[in-house]
Amino acid sequence: MCEDRTGALPREAAATGGIASVNGGIPPFDRIVAEFGPLISRIAMSYEADPALREDMVQQILLAVWQALPSYRAEASLKTFIARIAQNRAISFVAKQVRQPPTAEMPELVESERPDPEQVAIDANERHVLLEATRRLPLPQREVIILVLEGFDYAEIGEMLEIAPNALALRLSRAKAALKKMLESAP
Amino acid sequence: MTDLDLERLGDVWRQRPDPAELEELRRTAEAVRRRALWGQIIDLVAAVVVAGVVLLLALRNPRIETLLIGGSAVLVLLWSHIRQRRMRQIEIRGLTGNTEEMLDQSIARVEATLRRTRFQLIGFVPAFLLGIAFAYAADAARITEVLARISADPSLRLLILAAAAVSLAGMGFHLVRVLRRGREELHRLTSLREAYREERESSLAE
Repeated sequence: MCEDRTGALPREAAATGGIASVNGGIPPFDRIVAEFGPLISRIAMSYEADPALREDMVQQILLAVWQALPSYRAEASLKTFIARIAQNRAISFVAKQVRQPPTAEMPELVESERPDPEQVAIDANERHVLLEATRRLPLPQREVIILVLEGFDYAEIGEMLEIAPNALALRLSRAKAALKKMLESAP
Repeated sequence: MTDLDLERLGDVWRQRPDPAELEELRRTAEAVRRRALWGQIIDLVAAVVVAGVVLLLALRNPRIETLLIGGSAVLVLLWSHIRQRRMRQIEIRGLTGNTEEMLDQSIARVEATLRRTRFQLIGFVPAFLLGIAFAYAADAARITEVLARISADPSLRLLILAAAAVSLAGMGFHLVRVLRRGREELHRLTSLREAYREERESSLAE
């Protein structure tokens, strides 16, 4: 996956977040899903632990992306555009749920072809702990941490959340402190 | 206390997903796209069919009443489509904007739903009775005849009364449920907005 923070991409590909568009327009939906599906999936996972509800959430995010695509103007990268929709849809989805934020167990994504099962287990556990800790963060902090973990740079995050650099730095510093505390207290 | 290594955590976070899970996501996306596309096509075809039927009726029976009713039906249809389109655009603007704007928009939507539902809850029984009164005013003889026929048959009367009671109770129950859920959603949304405001204000204060 081409999700590095600073990798230089061709101008058009950079505008669309790494995937080349067809005839300078918006890339087809299936290519967007192939490229940004994991991003959508991870954002959904960080807001919803229940697999059935998460499936609903992913469907709603995909529908919102599909509906919003014609309004995309290459002012920001396509990745930024999709991440913003996914975060906002995830937050509104969580607000609609009657019950409190869930803590149900969930299968994590792991690379199936890895040769070392022990390493797979360690990585999966680390990821699981990270996800669990992220889910316990207050939403304003969670939003920032997810975007940092997704590889967005601070300028992009500030633009996405429409907050000033110093406010972003402060929110991120609080989010990091809270996350660190939760990771340290994790079993 | 060492700082968090976000670079390393980012690598853990962005682990390559299982191809089977990606394939499942692709299938879901395709199903969502197809459903949304069909929804748009059905909406369009239904609008064209209704407009066509109204036009046909007006042409076959070119009286002022038919033209007025037909014209009104087409206008209502057009208004409903424009409203639906505008609401979708507002929703999309909210989703592509910042979180606080999205929350404000969601709060406004839920408040509007609550107002509408309260109005329906208060008004649905009077509206039902008003409907009967209008029908009576329009054709008193026919309504009296229907009522007499119902009164003459106790089992039919019981059946109609039971159906009306169940329908009204069901409607009332549904509206109360919508109100309760709306209030809960509103509470969660306002708490969330408050959390964002506090975060922003504390950043400004420091």
